Amino acid sequence: MNRLHVDSVRKKIGDRSILNDVFISCQSGEIVGLLGRNGAGKSSLFKIVFGSLAADYKFVSVNDRKTRGLYSSSDLIHYLPQHRFLPEHIKIADLISCFCRRDKAALLMKQEWIQALLIKKAKALSTGERRMVECGILLFSEARFLLLDEPFNGIAPLYVDRIKELIRQNINEKGTVITGQDYKNVIDLSSRIILMQDGNTREIKNLEELVEYGYLRASADLGVWVTETSNCLKNF
Amino acid sequence: MRIIKGLWYFYQKLIIPSLTISVVLALFSQGYVSILFGIAFSYAILTPFVHLYSYEIDSPQEYYFYYNLGLSKTTLWANTLSISTLLLIVLGLT
Repeated sequence: MNRLHVDSVRKKIGDRSILNDVFISCQSGEIVGLLGRNGAGKSSLFKIVFGSLAADYKFVSVNDRKTRGLYSSSDLIHYLPQHRFLPEHIKIADLISCFCRRDKAALLMKQEWIQALLIKKAKALSTGERRMVECGILLFSEARFLLLDEPFNGIAPLYVDRIKELIRQNINEKGTVITGQDYKNVIDLSSRIILMQDGNTREIKNLEELVEYGYLRASADLGVWVTETSNCLKNF
Repeated sequence: MRIIKGLWYFYQKLIIPSLTISVVLALFSQGYVSILFGIAFSYAILTPFVHLYSYEIDSPQEYYFYYNLGLSKTTLWANTLSISTLLLIVLGLT
């Protein structure tokens, strides 16, 4: 069982404090949903944990060992940025073999959905296909933790469902933190929800708290949806 | 091996644009220096600028692929600059 522990993350941009003593944790097999409005600091937090953005202060540890600049240890944590990140000039099969260990690469390449894409370059893929490949590569990598920043951003519902399925099928060995403005899908996938607000994080126990803290509006839609997602509510 | 592959994929993107511009520049400078020297010299000088444009300006998000492989921006810049420097040293010696 691996454990990611992120504590006391502070970040100021100019005079504005965007992260103020943020705490977040995640264990293997867990999907933590990180919700928050635009500009709440979700992506900045991910980048700081990953190591690509400097913080004013941070404490990040994996299995009680403090780490700095996690991306320098590529088997610890991987980050899916909001925007496409695959090099456009390389074939998908080559990218997979570069990113994943041989046995994992073979497993990924056996997946039916990816077979027609293997000989294509990333620039030839549709947005949905590209996002599927990006998620697939990260999910089949050796990383112990994944930070998925808006994996459903700008893609068709068909691909959203496929990506959710892909995440569910391959999540056992890894811990995952996921964000998205598409909060219904994030909640549907997550075993725990954390809300980022005013530079802080709060653990959410039920959907009504999202209304209480002003993330969602109290509406009839929410009532219907709460009933539909009662299975997911049990897990919080 | 993955690191070497990553560095190669990163550098691969710089080769065609750098080489194309270098050939054109070398053709213009014919008569002053040999064409091969002109190509190699221009290539060594141009590659860091192509790196700057391709990755820092045009597709900065691609850096995340290499970060995930454990390659920092410093390593990637060092890779580009060291190949160029090596090329200039070899040219200087010949």
